[in-house]
Amino acid sequence: MVLEATMICIDNSEWMRNGDYSPTRFQAQADAVNLICGAKTQSNPENTVGVLTMAGKGVRVLVTPTSDLGKILACMHGLEIGGEMNLAAGIQVAQLALKHRQNKKQQQRIIVFAGGPVKYDKKVLEMIGKKLKKNSVALDVVNFGEEDEAKTEKLEALVAAVNNNDSSHIVHVPAGSNALSDVLLSTPIFTGDGEGGSGFAAAAAAAAAGGVSGFDFGVDPNLDPELALALRVSMEEERARQEAAAKKAADDSSKQDKEGASSSQDATMSENVATSASESENKKDDLMDDENALLQQALAMSMDDPATTTVNTRDTDMSEAAADDQDLALALQLSVQEGAKDQSGETDMGKLLADQSFVSSVLASLPGVDPNDPSVKDLLASMQNQPEKKDEDKEEDK
Amino acid sequence: VDLLDFVDWTGVECLNQNTAHPLPNALKQGYREDEGLNLESDADEQLLMYIPFTQVIKLHSIVIKGPEEEVDLQSVHQAQAACNTLLYKFNMSISPQTVKLYTNKEHMGFSNVSDFPPSDTLTLSPENLQGKPVVLKYVKFQNVRSLTIFIEDNQSGSDITKVQKIILQGTTVETTDMKGLKKIEEH
Repeated sequence: MVLEATMICIDNSEWMRNGDYSPTRFQAQADAVNLICGAKTQSNPENTVGVLTMAGKGVRVLVTPTSDLGKILACMHGLEIGGEMNLAAGIQVAQLALKHRQNKKQQQRIIVFAGGPVKYDKKVLEMIGKKLKKNSVALDVVNFGEEDEAKTEKLEALVAAVNNNDSSHIVHVPAGSNALSDVLLSTPIFTGDGEGGSGFAAAAAAAAAGGVSGFDFGVDPNLDPELALALRVSMEEERARQEAAAKKAADDSSKQDKEGASSSQDATMSENVATSASESENKKDDLMDDENALLQQALAMSMDDPATTTVNTRDTDMSEAAADDQDLALALQLSVQEGAKDQSGETDMGKLLADQSFVSSVLASLPGVDPNDPSVKDLLASMQNQPEKKDEDKEEDK
Repeated sequence: VDLLDFVDWTGVECLNQNTAHPLPNALKQGYREDEGLNLESDADEQLLMYIPFTQVIKLHSIVIKGPEEEVDLQSVHQAQAACNTLLYKFNMSISPQTVKLYTNKEHMGFSNVSDFPPSDTLTLSPENLQGKPVVLKYVKFQNVRSLTIFIEDNQSGSDITKVQKIILQGTTVETTDMKGLKKIEEH
């Protein structure tokens, strides 16, 4: 949420006609620019973004820093490709444009798309970098297009000269099937030094490619585990709600069957353990049955039948866990434990859940669940504490 | 009178400062007394500080203190034989030398320091750097809303400049401090 004024320097040199980025380098660059503008404006509504071109007849400012996204998108139309990229002049003009920004409180940032070759010396670039640093301007460089060792070295030196506290970055995007914008989404250029951008990145990824690198919601759980978890949980809840609503009528008979099956607590426990284990293994095939179980459990709870409740809940919990939401499942188990506090089945429940190894083994057997996932571990740890606390409370009550 | 109370901290800026050693180290009450905390410059030896005030002030004098530094023990021993105490000596070379003051100019950059003649130019002598105030041309500082301090170079021309302490001394023009207005007690 940093208040920032950004100038984006676009390369519209002849080198942008090349098609090694789809559809052309120039188009890929334009998409990336649009994405960046959106991200910046979304992370803070007072952010402003401006655009200038570095090649063509000369450096030309297309739009001065503004928060109006429409203006920026409009100016990207009808841009002509030609000439050679003038990096030094481009950066200097960008710096000047930022200097005359309206809101002096904004931090200054320049984003350069360096596609064509760089004809300036390393020394010159380093001096420019120092000047930028002196005036507290941050610089991000997207190195794409021409692959040239000298060019990479020069750009790295430039960013190193400007870099102050890791506020400047350089990103190398090799040619290939990945779109330029998608690659940029995961870089610090978008995530804004680790905060604020990941929400937009998730939305953009979902809209554009739908799960960029195979993560469920386009959000890397490593980058933002809480967001990934929250998204996952809300999806699960929504799904569960929808399916529960859909199957409300059809399940009384099966519910009766479940009730009959429970003779004693222990027997039921072991039975359900067995059933839930097998259920978890066949979870993909038995998704319908799992949803039935969920519904029955809900009905049973409303009927206030303690034994069945705990049993079915356990069953449901396992199936929910099987439905790829182990965190929600464990949370449900915890809450069920709370509810079952005054019931006799509690001790057994507690013991069973307290059997850490058992739980982890069940979780391990569930496809898609990694017991080493830190969130799972945390919940396991809290679960461990829960049964212990319960025992303490019980002793106090007695 | 120390004008520290009248500094508008929300607008204070410093260009080319090393973020680990920022301006508050030299300006703020607690920090500037601490000898370990200095204001240090980053990319080169110049520093540009912008200090706005909450009300109009008249600036009388300014103290700019250079950093103190421990002397290498060996050289101490060379000068005096068996002495274990550390002597603090002011490190002359990296203290500021030429300082230009500009009044009421907002958001100056390094590029426009030469566009506008300074209200005053100071050349700091060793005594100044040890804490002796530099008396300013009072007539030029009668109506100051904001002060820009531009440190152009340092004593030896090295790459970084360090400043230990900056004290601004002066008086306020007769404006009422709204916070100081209190309701007259009814008898």
